[in-house]
Amino acid sequence: MNRFLNISAIIMAFLTEGVWAEPSSKVAFTPEVLKTLSAGQTKKGEEIAQSCVGCHVLGGAAPLLDGQIGAYLFKQLKDYQDGSRMNELMTGLVRGLSDQDLADIAAYFSQLKAPSSTKSKVTEMAEVLVHSGDPRRILPPCVACHERDGRGQKIDVPAIRGQSAAYLHQTLKDYKSGQRHNDLLGRMRAISQELNEKEIKALAEYYGQ
Amino acid sequence: MPESSFKPLILSHFWLAFGSFGLACVLGVYQVLERSGLIPLMQSPEVYFASVSTHGVLMAFVLTTFFIMGFGYLVATTSLKMPLAHPKWATAGFSVSALGTLMAAIPLLLGKASVLYTFYPPVQANVFFYLGAALLVVGSWFWAVIMVVMFGLWKKAHPGATVPLPMFATTANAILWLWTSVGVALEVVFQLIPWALGWIDTIDVGLARTLFAWTLHPIVYFWLIPAYIVLYSLVPKAAGGALFSHDLARLAFVLLLVFGLPIGFHHLYMDPEHGQGFKMIHAVGTFFVMLPTLMTGFTVIASLEQAGRKKGGKGLFGWIGKLPWDHPVVLAAILAFLMLIAGGFGGIVNASYGMNAMVHNTAWVPGHFHLIFGGTTVILYFAAAYAVWPKLTGRALIEGSLPLVQLWSWFIGMIILSTPWHILGLLGQPRRISSVAYNSLLTLAWDPYELAMIIGGLILLGSAFLFLHILLASQRKGLRIAAEEAEIHYADEEPEGTRVPALLNGFGVWNLVILLLMLANFGYPIAQFFLFKTFGSTGWGY
Amino acid sequence: MSSSSRPLHIDPLEKKWLKVAFALIALFVGVILYTGFFQHVHPPGGMETIDSAALHLSEEFAEDRLGVSVAPDGAIKVTLVAARYGFYPRSIKVPAGRPITFRIASADVLHGLHVPMTNLATMVVPGYISTVTTRFPKPGEYPLLCNEYCGMGHDHMWSQLQVVSQEDWDALTPSSKEP
Repeated sequence: MNRFLNISAIIMAFLTEGVWAEPSSKVAFTPEVLKTLSAGQTKKGEEIAQSCVGCHVLGGAAPLLDGQIGAYLFKQLKDYQDGSRMNELMTGLVRGLSDQDLADIAAYFSQLKAPSSTKSKVTEMAEVLVHSGDPRRILPPCVACHERDGRGQKIDVPAIRGQSAAYLHQTLKDYKSGQRHNDLLGRMRAISQELNEKEIKALAEYYGQ
Repeated sequence: MPESSFKPLILSHFWLAFGSFGLACVLGVYQVLERSGLIPLMQSPEVYFASVSTHGVLMAFVLTTFFIMGFGYLVATTSLKMPLAHPKWATAGFSVSALGTLMAAIPLLLGKASVLYTFYPPVQANVFFYLGAALLVVGSWFWAVIMVVMFGLWKKAHPGATVPLPMFATTANAILWLWTSVGVALEVVFQLIPWALGWIDTIDVGLARTLFAWTLHPIVYFWLIPAYIVLYSLVPKAAGGALFSHDLARLAFVLLLVFGLPIGFHHLYMDPEHGQGFKMIHAVGTFFVMLPTLMTGFTVIASLEQAGRKKGGKGLFGWIGKLPWDHPVVLAAILAFLMLIAGGFGGIVNASYGMNAMVHNTAWVPGHFHLIFGGTTVILYFAAAYAVWPKLTGRALIEGSLPLVQLWSWFIGMIILSTPWHILGLLGQPRRISSVAYNSLLTLAWDPYELAMIIGGLILLGSAFLFLHILLASQRKGLRIAAEEAEIHYADEEPEGTRVPALLNGFGVWNLVILLLMLANFGYPIAQFFLFKTFGSTGWGY
Repeated sequence: MSSSSRPLHIDPLEKKWLKVAFALIALFVGVILYTGFFQHVHPPGGMETIDSAALHLSEEFAEDRLGVSVAPDGAIKVTLVAARYGFYPRSIKVPAGRPITFRIASADVLHGLHVPMTNLATMVVPGYISTVTTRFPKPGEYPLLCNEYCGMGHDHMWSQLQVVSQEDWDALTPSSKEP
């Protein structure tokens, strides 16, 4: 049976692009999960998040979380819990937290004021990719999903404006190499694989600070 | 005249309708320019889709509903020669609909309701858009009830007498609208509003589309029937003749009412939530509804032919030249028929079941409905306005041939706009795109047609402004005329005392037929969403 | 309602026209019924539900099951997910001249799938699976376009379909698929 699956995989590798053996993420925004999310309590989230704010500041290696899309945060935390997204530190920190705890954290951070992007570096290369994409590489513009100003969109497209530029840079590189692979259908991986180093740097500096 | 106190109310309806129309035309020109890609600085999907949503709502819901209500009140009072029943309800209805329009317009213009005039979920708009749309519909129900009430009052006061044709048709339209609007009302009230408010987390998109499809086809007959009233009841006298047929005229309106309702699935041919069986049934029903339009074509052209021959037209086609082409109502009718033939052909293609796969959601579809609605129907709305403006304002239309220029330019502009649009659809261009971004050789063929459409759009904009100018100038500066001169000249009916078959003078039986047809064609397809387990969708941004 | 005193009055010319109108309608309906029942010319149909929020956790639409698959009896199936903004997998190869069944589901909102100037066309409604069977007579590169408004990226939602000749297809796939 295993050999059959392997051969099918080889066949499909010829016929399609990209093969994944496991789902990219085990999080699904079913009505139950949506209920949990909407029951998230900001006050409780603030208590639990006391241990987060130390690292998640501007200038640190960890991304800024203020004003992030709530459902996106929830998904990332759950992905850390079950290994869909790998980071030893984060995996350890979220172990033992319940779904409701995660929803509370998400509720807390999502209602904080989002960072502004006053330090962003606007280059023509970035502008084109951000607003027009590239039809030749079937790249939609970033704004199509991340919305104007990179504010993110429901239900789970992350806000990227004012994010740490270093973090954005690393994230795109991780998607490109496949190191980060919790994006549904490999959409960010496919996009990042089409971008070259220069473009990744320009985009990180366009949106980040 | 007893109706004089309602003139401001009717004029308010018309001005809200035509003012919205003017704004929507400006948006239309912006859209055709943006989409062509000619001016790169203009490119913006955000602005484009906000514009398309606003344009669609204004043209399909605001222009139509307010025009139809105003025209209905006018036809009812003048053809029945009785005062408006429950005028306070009429004012209330106008206010509710106007409030709804404003409530929806604000999120639309701010880009918070870029969900297009079909507002298919699960892309989610600001809740005030859905609330506004609901109010617009609810206000129109006041109108529909008043029409039915006046119909009943007149029949009581004239036992056994034949209801004048314009009012028979208007009442058919009111009944049609009440049946039609239930679908979208259910969708908006029980699904979209609670969902947008966050009271429910998910809604069944298949059910929402089905309820909308209930409304989506018969609403075009709601729009079309007033245009047919112009053809049957205003065109014959304007052409200097008489209506060729009376019974079949009534039967045509009954058939539109009965067969126009239970056929909405031809908008869902490509949908996975319904089986081929019901799609086939709706397809057959859709072909049946060709009949009243074929009948109308015959009757009105026959009436025109008689008028032309009366004026000395000889030979097979000589009568055409003898018609008064310089009478706006007659000119509009002729131009409307030309567009009806082309647009009707397109409609037959759309209805053709499996073949719909070739044109579904391509640019062919907006090409079709701009031709058949923006062309045939709206040009007859223009004619109606020209015909009734003296009555409403007490002044003649301004001197000169401006109305004729306006009608010709609308026709020419529409042909230039819609013909390339149909071709783009056949060449595979999807609808609802704001730019051409596919890296495919296929798209190279599209450019010349996009450019041609800009010319059509500009001509139409000029024509629209001319229309508004004519109405405004006539209302302000037209020659004052006596009341008798301003009378609306409906086509003569059969001599007083003549009775018509009861089935062509009332709607009791027809309502029962409609109920049975709707149960048969929509009963199970809607029930299935409650009988089987379905999965709903949360709200998504855009 | 008062009783009527006369039957329906139809002018002889009108009667003639009605016959023409009925004949026209009968022709159209006849063609639709005939091609539908005997040549299987149908739009897609059939109510099949699925949870769009959990597509990636389902059996049929799991990410590693997407794309082209060939059953032991040679039947070709293409499984696609429509999601903002593409049809996944974004590049697929199928053989010309053979019946191909497409199974498509949406992971988010309404989409429409159309290969221009072919009858591969269907709506993709979240919560429901779309099934279309068709064949492509000619090899070539075909764009798969989304034709229903699905958000600000709708203009950019498309994927590539490559139809290869039968010989090229046979060369691509190993002849033996048995373990």
